[in-house]
Order: sequence, then structure tokens, then C-alpha cells
Amino acid sequence: MPTVTFLPSFRKAVVDREGTLMEAALNAGINLNVVCGGQGKCGKCVMFVKSGVAEFDRDQFGRFFSPEELESGACLACQTRVIDDASVFVPESSHIQEQKILIETLGLETEFHPSVWKYPLVLNPPSLDDPSPDLTRLLWGIEKKGGPREGKIYAPLEVIRSIPRVLRDSGWKITATVALVPGGYRLIDVEKGDTSSRLYGVAVDLGTTTVVVFIRSLVDGRVVGVASNYNKQISCGEDILSRVNYARKGGLAKLQSLAAESINTAITRAANQAGVDREDIHEVVIAGNTIMTHILMGIDPAYMIEEPYVPVVRRYLTAAASRVGLEVKENAGLFIFPAVSDFIGGDIVADVLASGMSESSEVSLLIDIGTNFEVVLGNRDWMFSCAGAAGPALEGGEVLFGMRANPGAIEQITLDLETLTPAYRTINHEKPRGICGSGLIDLLAELLRACVIDRTGRINTVIAHPRIRLGPHFPEFVVAWKEETGIGKDIVITENDIKNLIMSKASILAACITLMNEAGISRNGIDRIYFTGAFGNYLSKENAIIIGLIPEVPLERIRTIGNGAIEGANIALVNRKKRKQLDEIARTMAYIELNATPSFMDEYTRGCFLPHTDLSLFPVVEKMLDECRIHRG
Amino acid sequence: MPLKALDIYKLLPRKNCKECGDPTCLTFAMKLASGKGEVDKCPYLDDNARNILGASTRPPIRKVKIGVGERSFAVGDELVQFRHEKSFYHPPGILVAVSDLWPAERIREVTIRVRDEVLTRVGADLLLNGIVVRNSSGEGPAFRRAVEAVEEVADLPEVLMAADPAVMEQGLSVCGHFRPLIHAAARENYKGMAALAKNYGCPLAVRATAPEELEELVGLCTGEGVDNLVLDTGSSSLHQFLNVSTAVRQQAITRTTPAFGYPVFLDAAEYGLQDGALVTGILRYASVIAVEEVDRASLLALLTLRQNIYTDPQKPIQMTPGIYRVGTPGPDAPVLLTVNFSLTYFTLQGYLESSRIPCFMLIVDTEGLSVLTAVASGKLSEGLVKESIKKFELEKAVAHKTLIIPGYAAPLSGKIEEETGWKVLVGPRDAAEIGEFLGKEWKR
Amino acid sequence: MTIRTLTDWTGVVGTVMLGATAADGGTRSVSYTLGGESDLPFLGDPPSGHIPLVAFELCDDPAIWPAVVREYAGDLSNDPGKWAKAAEADYGADLVRLSLTSTRRKDFSGYAALKTTIQEVLRKCRLPLIVEGSNDPSIDSEVFAVCGEAGEGERLLLGTAEAGRYRSVAAAAMAYHHAVVAQSPIDINLAKQLNILLHEIGVPSDRIVIDPYTGALGYGFEYSYSVMERIRYSALKGDTDLAMPMISAPTDSLTVKEVRDAAPAARQDIAVKWEYYTALSSAIAGAAIVCVRHPRTVPLLKDTLAALWSGQTPGKV
Ligand code: SF4
Ligand code: FES
Repeated sequence: MPTVTFLPSFRKAVVDREGTLMEAALNAGINLNVVCGGQGKCGKCVMFVKSGVAEFDRDQFGRFFSPEELESGACLACQTRVIDDASVFVPESSHIQEQKILIETLGLETEFHPSVWKYPLVLNPPSLDDPSPDLTRLLWGIEKKGGPREGKIYAPLEVIRSIPRVLRDSGWKITATVALVPGGYRLIDVEKGDTSSRLYGVAVDLGTTTVVVFIRSLVDGRVVGVASNYNKQISCGEDILSRVNYARKGGLAKLQSLAAESINTAITRAANQAGVDREDIHEVVIAGNTIMTHILMGIDPAYMIEEPYVPVVRRYLTAAASRVGLEVKENAGLFIFPAVSDFIGGDIVADVLASGMSESSEVSLLIDIGTNFEVVLGNRDWMFSCAGAAGPALEGGEVLFGMRANPGAIEQITLDLETLTPAYRTINHEKPRGICGSGLIDLLAELLRACVIDRTGRINTVIAHPRIRLGPHFPEFVVAWKEETGIGKDIVITENDIKNLIMSKASILAACITLMNEAGISRNGIDRIYFTGAFGNYLSKENAIIIGLIPEVPLERIRTIGNGAIEGANIALVNRKKRKQLDEIARTMAYIELNATPSFMDEYTRGCFLPHTDLSLFPVVEKMLDECRIHRG
Repeated sequence: MPLKALDIYKLLPRKNCKECGDPTCLTFAMKLASGKGEVDKCPYLDDNARNILGASTRPPIRKVKIGVGERSFAVGDELVQFRHEKSFYHPPGILVAVSDLWPAERIREVTIRVRDEVLTRVGADLLLNGIVVRNSSGEGPAFRRAVEAVEEVADLPEVLMAADPAVMEQGLSVCGHFRPLIHAAARENYKGMAALAKNYGCPLAVRATAPEELEELVGLCTGEGVDNLVLDTGSSSLHQFLNVSTAVRQQAITRTTPAFGYPVFLDAAEYGLQDGALVTGILRYASVIAVEEVDRASLLALLTLRQNIYTDPQKPIQMTPGIYRVGTPGPDAPVLLTVNFSLTYFTLQGYLESSRIPCFMLIVDTEGLSVLTAVASGKLSEGLVKESIKKFELEKAVAHKTLIIPGYAAPLSGKIEEETGWKVLVGPRDAAEIGEFLGKEWKR
Repeated sequence: MTIRTLTDWTGVVGTVMLGATAADGGTRSVSYTLGGESDLPFLGDPPSGHIPLVAFELCDDPAIWPAVVREYAGDLSNDPGKWAKAAEADYGADLVRLSLTSTRRKDFSGYAALKTTIQEVLRKCRLPLIVEGSNDPSIDSEVFAVCGEAGEGERLLLGTAEAGRYRSVAAAAMAYHHAVVAQSPIDINLAKQLNILLHEIGVPSDRIVIDPYTGALGYGFEYSYSVMERIRYSALKGDTDLAMPMISAPTDSLTVKEVRDAAPAARQDIAVKWEYYTALSSAIAGAAIVCVRHPRTVPLLKDTLAALWSGQTPGKV
């Protein structure tokens, strides 16, 4: 079997003959950027073969590279077969980079009603006068401290077994941990001494791409640690569908353990940062999409992606966290958010909880944007929801110089309407390497304002300007010249990129309008729009309206709630009373199947125009466009 | 304006008790709004709600059945004026006329042709629907003999056309129990005709040349106890038929004139332009159409038009699967496989045209899904490709066995080769690159 | 029997002028106003607007023209000028549509010949003319400039603008005062979008004729039919972005399987009927111009249209 040496790290790995460089990199422990999951679509897994024998089909994939790059051995790792020993250079940009993952939160206030308590107790040792058994003594102690009544607490065998030793070794100074579980209270731990300040819980957003974890004290609700990392399942497929397919082919156990591992890694990181011992984590609350939570619980998701699309469970789930491989306190409880349907998962229920829309009489529109999007419309009396695929363009995928919100990504941009010179800001103020979702939205709006593109997104190549040119396949606009960038080539946006972006935004807008039509609510009837998802926090609300990503409403009605899933999980972690609401939200929310709604395709086509075919739905944008056109003559 | 789900929801008790079989009142409301639910399933509706919701569910145009047995057909029961609003449901019956002046032999011949002539298109058998017997002789026995001649060779639905109830009765004595349409009750004979319709349980056409008269006549006939009516507007020109039939449809579906809530009859032979009358009738709401014998050319076009107009327009725009030609391709021309989502088809076809390379497009039936979704959902599979090659006789069109598939279908390439024995070339993902691709890859 | 239809419309289909007579500085024997309808097609006594026009379509390079037509027309098909004359004098067409199929050839460069052909057709035939140019963005701008100039002063209808390539046609039409065919693939929203795009670069509504793309009968016609109905409906409902007259010009009516596979003796008849059914249905759906390629279809269609119109004279000015 051939050996591959990766430069500049000199890591080595063996791989099957005809195995791919991607597999070799995986074996070598290199975290490769595989946005399309190794399908040769995204062009992100770039490597340069320096020596050795490897096969790469340039005819098919050469379009990702310049002739010079090909000259120096450029290839896509996922599409290159290793024939014999080789040494390969892995550029920095091909590594997964720490993403600017959304962990900012609304910081909603919620009451503090934990569901785990610690009771520091000093017990009287038994005597001939007071011969009551150890357990009873302990439970009375809890009751005396204001805890639940003795008869209401269930003590599992493993805890009972540990009691005599702990009580005596500690000189009868112990701390008992009690949790509220379905059906009553449960004694989950007895420790020596007073550990009552060391009581923590974890809120988790288990996303398809990323995992975000909050550690909070369950004594006072404080946030003590936050961490995030990629969902390690990415190695089994980028999108949710390929994960399910992977599970179908016998990979469920692997996906399950990768999910647990991803959460564990994040917890460890957050715990280290906060100086918390994982053994002091007594509860885990997880919000995730239906497929992710199914996989984490080890439930086969296969039937969800084929007609008639049914999940196995919809209501919330509880279990011992250790049962699914989470490395926290042995008996720690696990609470999984309920789902509405296979497409509307616990993450969306968490969004709704976080937005507060289910408690208000105002009509809110909640939009969760990602490769898959979800939309919820309603108030405390009624709610409609729908979901669909928007494609990865708004997250930087399927866009030539698109990238995730990593360092070096252009995240904000404006154009000088006279000179067409862009002014941009990149993440971490590094030299630009690409453009992320929020930057793309800005760019689209600015190009439209400057009349560089028409309302279908086509570039007006009649304009004579050095930044407007015919690329190898499509007309393109140069955002940053080679010299300014961190990647040594011009960063451009092509007409094809714009088309992909427009198709993405059109599906989201069409979903919003379909729900609004279903409910008979016009844009004026929307009191709030809540935005959540991959770029929610950095997005220009104004530009989102200009390109018609969302319906036009007065800007002050739009809120971004950042990562609503983690927000909701946090609320449920510290306030058990809200957990009751979750099942109610999940149960009453009606789900609308967009593909079965004939007008959806119509709305989609209407939305494939900037901002929309019918400008009367976008009166402010209409005024703006008129002015721009007058301005440009 | 049909009620929106939320409007209906507001009329419901909002108990979420599930007794209607739905998990919540809102989902029940959505069902009602889409016309799929039954109002009565909710036991807690108040009278007001029941009234509002009930009224919108009665069909505005009566469904009328003609004939018995396999070839019988139903017309009416339509809900909209434009097919794009929902769909047209019951295609018009087209019946070929024979005259009772003809020798029995000729009548039998025509009948047999109507019985047997089939046109198969996109998997459906298209047929003419039956026979119209005209009482040109004015006499009862001849009429009876003509009906007998028809009955001898076929059990097709019939329209009996005679003005005199006594003559009509002669015809009915032969086929009256097979639900022929009685044509027609007019001002002067409606009593007799209505009595016959009632006796034999047959549908009855009513004919008047002024709308008020027609309205009145409908009232008189229903008063006689005949409910299954068909309206003959007695129009004097095609122009007039189009106008009247449109107005009748409008007034029926808006329930402005309940007397017009019946299917419409058209005698396409009346205006000297039979093909024109057929087109007008099919497009403009005729439900029972009488024609003089049609030649094969007209028949093909007419049955195809009827099939086109009566398909469900709310399915995604699809191309009919099959082999399409770009330019005049020869047996060596490339074959490009793609899906029947119309936008995919048009995009590809546009680029192919401008590539100026004559070629074949093999359009397979993915139910209107695009390539990407068809691959993801498994609709586009090697099995489908194999079946399509066979069904559309691709091997007869070309002298090679190489198939170009869309870039997004690349994962299927191996399986297609195995299944079909054709060599597969993976084309570009973007149709814009097809010209370049063919220029480079298609060397023959 | 007359009864009034119920719908209260608020919109009117806008008008477009085609063909310039001597009075307008052109050489056409007639000019037409398309549009002006304030109700559904053929409704009313007399109907609103103008009776649909029948255009006979011919080409400058018959290689890709339907075989049935070449067979029927014989030598005529090699001489666009004579053919156009026959369309006027023998077939009785209302206008002629000249399809510049020569531009479809690989590496086309015969711009001078295009000019001669157009001028020849204009000389031999006095009917208003529709010119269908190239369909390749890389030669569009030159082809349309030639067409525009060759027909200067004649108020042509120039085709075809599409969402991906509308600037050249529009520029030629504006420079030489012609109208434009705006074609979109069987979708009311795309039709509307294209009209908006044309507006935004300065083409006024009275120079736009919508071509919603007509699929042949049995090959997607039902979609075209409903899109035409929807466009007319929207126009009458007051959507000014869709209130333009429509043209229906199916390209494959005569090459469908039913025609190709027909017995030789029946082929001509089937071709004519197929085209007739498609064109007449389009007119009933709301097309102001229906294009046909078989000479025999023209008189059949004109008779029926007149009958549907109730014998009114065509909309000649
Ligand atoms: S039965 Fe009536 S009240 Fe009960 S859930 Fe159904 S609609 Fe609501
Ligand atoms: S191209 Fe290799 S992972 Fe996407």
C-alpha cells in the first residue's frame, strides 16, 4: 500500500492503492476542508502533488484551477487516486479553520428553575437511639434542607451501594444530588464533603455542521464556559442527506459515536476553559434537527427521507447521558428537544422558544437559514411551519470564491456607485481569501444598486470597466485584485455564483410567502421577523430586503437571534418550566409541505428576481432602485 | 374567494380535541381549505360556522353520467373557469353522428369504427366516446331501426336526437335502459321529453336560444322531476357559442344562476367548420360534443388537444418524455439524456441549438424533477434509463450506443452502463458548457 | 342568444403597431394594431381589440425547416422573396415571419446576405414583416443591427429577446424603431420579468410583444395554453407588466412524431391539422398573432378566426 507524505507537516499515512488523497489525509489526522463531502463539487480540498504517482482527471475538474496552478500539481484531494508513494503539499486554505461559529446570544432573561439540586448535608451518625437506615437518614436530611419529601425520591441501586462508604469516609458530611426526572425525583449522586458549588449543566446545539456547547452553573444559572467545533460526521458526508445515506449503508453506529464525540470535544474544551470537572456536569440539554437527534440517540433515520417521511419519535426524549456516550457524570440526565416533523426539528422548536413568539399575540415570522432552511409563522394561538433546501450558496458553497465565515472571509462590503470600487471588511482583518454569506448578500445588493447586474442577476457586460469582464465560463465582477488578497488570485463573483445565490434566496422568500398566503397574512401583518442561522448576526437587514431574501417590513421589526437553537437549549436548561411548553409548541405547529403546495413553484420563480418580480411587495426597494437607475442614467 | 386555512381556523372551536381525526384544529382547517376535509367531522361546530363552511363544498355544476358499462362517461362537476385555477376534471364526451336515413350497414360501420379506433399517447388510450343518432327522417320506425343498428355492434353511450317525443320513445324502446342522452327538450315538447327521461332514468338535454328561456326551461324540467340535465344553447354561430358557453360557465361556478349549473352540449357539425367547432368546444366548456365523422388527421389532433387541456396543470411543468431532435440529427448524432423538468429541457435545448450540433435529447420521466433532485430522490435511476431507451426505441434512431448524461447524474454512470449496455459519457453540470463539451468529446 | 359575462376587468391589453404604410414613411400595404382587448378573447359583440392575425413563417435556409413544408412548397422554399410573395398573394397570410435560419450554421458570417434577403422579402411582399434573427449571443449584436437597419422605417417585429440575451435585440429595435418579441419559457412570471428587464433598459410597452413559447400540441402545449390564458387574465386584472399582445410561434408543430411517422399519403393532412389545432387554440387563449409554417393552414385558420370573430373585418388600419 502506498504511503502519502503531507507537507509542510510531514505527516504520513498509508492508503489503499487507488484510495483518494482525501482518505489518506483522514488517516493522517488532517482536518481537511471537505465542503461537498468529497464529491468534487466544492473545489475546497485543494492539494498540490509534488512528487509520486497519483491520478487526477483534469478535464473534469480542471475548471477549479488556473493553468499555473495545474502546472504546479494542483488537484482536488477527494478526486485524486493514489497509485504509488507520493508527497503532497496541503495549503493552509484546505484545512478546516476555526469557524466564527455563532455563540453570541440574545441573552434573553428567563426565570431560574433548575431541575438538578445539590444538598450539602451534615448528618448525625446513627446510634442505638437513632438506628434509622443510612438511606432514610440521607433522604430526611434532604427534606430538612428544603428538598423534596423523603418518600418522593427514588434512589437507584448503584447510588445506594455507594452510600455506606461515602457517609462514613466523609464523617457524615456529604453532598446529595437530586434531579427531577419524569415521574418524580431521583437521587443521582452522593459525594463526600460540600461540593454544592460544583453543579453544572450543559446546553448543546447539535447542528449538521457545527456543535455549540454552553456550560452553566445550575446553582445560579451563570454561563461559565462556551465552546464549539465542527460536527465530526462531516467526514461521512457534508449534507444531511448524505449522512442518512451513510447510516443506511450500515454506518449508523459510526455516525452516532461521531456525534457523541463531537459533543464531548466541545464539552471538554468549554470545561477546561472554565475550570470545570466534567464529572460535575449533571444535566445535558440538546436541541438539534430531527435527523441529528435521531442519530445521536442511535435511532435509524432512514425512513425519514423517503415518502411518507415519518420520524420515529417526535416528543421530547430523556435518557441517561452516558447511554449515548456523553462523557459527563455517570447518572446525568439528558433532555432532547421535541420535533414537529422530520424537517422541523428540535432546533427550530428551540428557535421558537428563544424568540418568544409562542408567548406573544404578535404575528412573527421566524426564518432559520442554512443549506436547509426552516420558516415558522404565527403567534401564541397558531403556527405554520415549512422547510426546504436552499442550497449552500448563502453559506458560501457553490460560489467560486465563497467560503464559510472563517478568518479572511469578506463579511461586509460596499461599492462606490461612481467608481465601482469595493470597500470591504474581512473577518479578523486578514487579507481576503473569499466571501462569506453576509458578504455575498451585501455584494448582491450593491451590484444591483450600481446597476452592474440586472434584476435577474446578469452582469451587464456592456459596461466598460476593468472590474467587469468575461471570465473563462461566465461574466464576472472583480471584488479584490490579486495583490490585495491572501490567496494570490483575483477574488471575483461570477454570473453563475449570482444565479446560485438568487436561487437560494428565492426558495427562502417563496417559503415565507407561501406560509403568509396560507395564513392569509400580508407583509404588513407581520409584527416581527426573527432571523436565525449561520450568518444571522452579521447580516445587513437592509441588504437582505434589497435582494429579497425576506419580505419587506420596516427594519425595526427585524431581529436577529443569532443561534436560536443554543439559546433555546440554554433556556430549557435553566428553566425547567419552559420544557413543558416545548411539547405544546411541537404539537400545535402545523407543517406545510412546500412540494405539495402548487403555488410554491410559482412563488419561487417570482422570487428568482431581485428583489422579486412584483415590486409592489417591496415598495421601499422600488423607490431605491428607481433612484439608482436615474442616477446611472 | 376560497377561505384561507386561518379564516377557517378562526371559525373552529379551537379545542384541539382531535375528534376530527386531526391533531389540531389548525391542521383540520388546512384540510378544509384545500378541499380535502369534511366539515362534519368536527362535532363542535356552531351553526354559523357550519353554514359558512358547508356552502363552499357543494359542486356548482352537476355531474351527469351518460351510458352504462365500460365506455360510459361522466361530465360536469367542474369548479373553475380557467384550468390554471385548479384543473378541469371531466373531459367532454365526443360522439359521432349517424343518420336514420342511412342504410344499416353504414351505421354499423361508423359505430364499429368508433368502438375500435384507439389512439395511444403517453401511456393513455384515447377514444371517441359514443354515437349520436339523428332523426333526419322524422319517423319513428326508421329511428328505432337506426338505434338497433348501433346496438347490434356496440354498447357505446348514445345521444338520441329527435324533436318528437313519440319518435324519441321508439329509440328509447331499444336503448332506453342504457342511459342515453335524450336530445332535446324545448319549450313545445318538454313535458313529453321530461316524462320519457323520467321513465327511463335518462339524462335530458334542454335546448333554447335565449338565456332566459333556457333558464326557465331548466326550471320546468326539474319541476317535472328530471335532475340530470345538459344545456344546449342553440347558438347560431361559433362566436355565439363561445360567448354563451363562457357566460354559462361563469354564472354556474359563481352560483349566480343556479339553473346554469349543468354541463353544456355542442353540435360541432352545425357551423360548417367542424374542426374549429371542436377546438372551441374543447377549450370553451362543452361537455358533450356531437360530430359528423372525423378523418384520422382531425381525430389525432382533437383527442390530443382534449387530453392536453384536461391534464392537471398544477403538476410541475413537464415535458412529455421521449426522443426530441435538435436540428436534423443523423444516426451518428450524439444522444443527451436529461429529465423532463421543462426548465431543464429548455435550457439544454437552447444551448444545444446554439452549439449547432444536431443531436437527440432523450427525455426521461422524472415526474418533473430537476436532475439534482431526481438523482437525490432516486427517481432518476439506471432502471428508468433502460426502460426509456427501450420504450422510445432509441436504438432505432441511432447507430451507436453512447449516452451523454448530465454532470449531476455522474454517480449513476457506472450503473447505467451495467444496466443498459450503453457507454456513458458524463457531460458538464452546467448546460452552458454543453457546446464546448460536445466539440471536444464527441468525435465520430 | 346573448348573455353578458360577469367579470369586471380593470385592465386593457396595450397596443403595438406593426408595419408602416406610405403614410407612415414605410412601404407596407397595410399596418396593424395589435392589442387593445378589454375582455377575454372573442368575447363581446363585437369583441374588443382586434382579430388575431395569421403569420406565415418562412426561412432563408431550409435545411432545418420541416420536411413536410419543403415537400409541399418545393422550390419556393429556396427563395425567401418569392415565398413571401406567395404567402401574400396565394396563401392569404396577414403577415410574414422570416426566420433567419442561416444564422444557425456553424461559424456564421453571412451578414451581407442577411441584409439582401430581408430587403428582397420587403420588396416582393408588402405585408408587415416579423424577423426572427439569431439565437446565439456571440453574433446577436451584429445580426440584429443588420436586421434593424435593413428594415428601417418598416416597423418590423424583431425577435427574439430572452432573459439571457435581450440587450442586442432591444438596442436594434430602439435604434431603428421596431417592436420586439420577448420570449420566455412557458412561465408567466418569467414573461413578466423579461418585460420588466426590457422596460428597465428603455423599451416601452408599446414595442413589446410577448412570446410565452408555444410547445406543440401534445408536447407541452397545455402549459403554453394556460400561460397565455394567465397572461391575458393578469393584463385584464390590471398588471401592466403583462399587458402586451402575445405571439404564438410553435417551432416543432410540424416535426412531431405524429407527423414524422405518418403514412406519406396522410402526412400533409396531419401536418395541417396539427398546426391548425395548435394555432387556433392559441388564438382562443389570447394570442394576437399565430404563426404557421404550412401554406394550407393559413386559409383554414383565417376562416375559423373570422367565424369566431363573428364576421367582423380584420383589424386593418
Ligand atoms: S374536532 Fe373540532 S375542535 Fe376538535 S380538534 Fe377537530 S376541529 Fe378542533
Ligand atoms: S471538491 Fe473535494 S471535497 Fe469538495
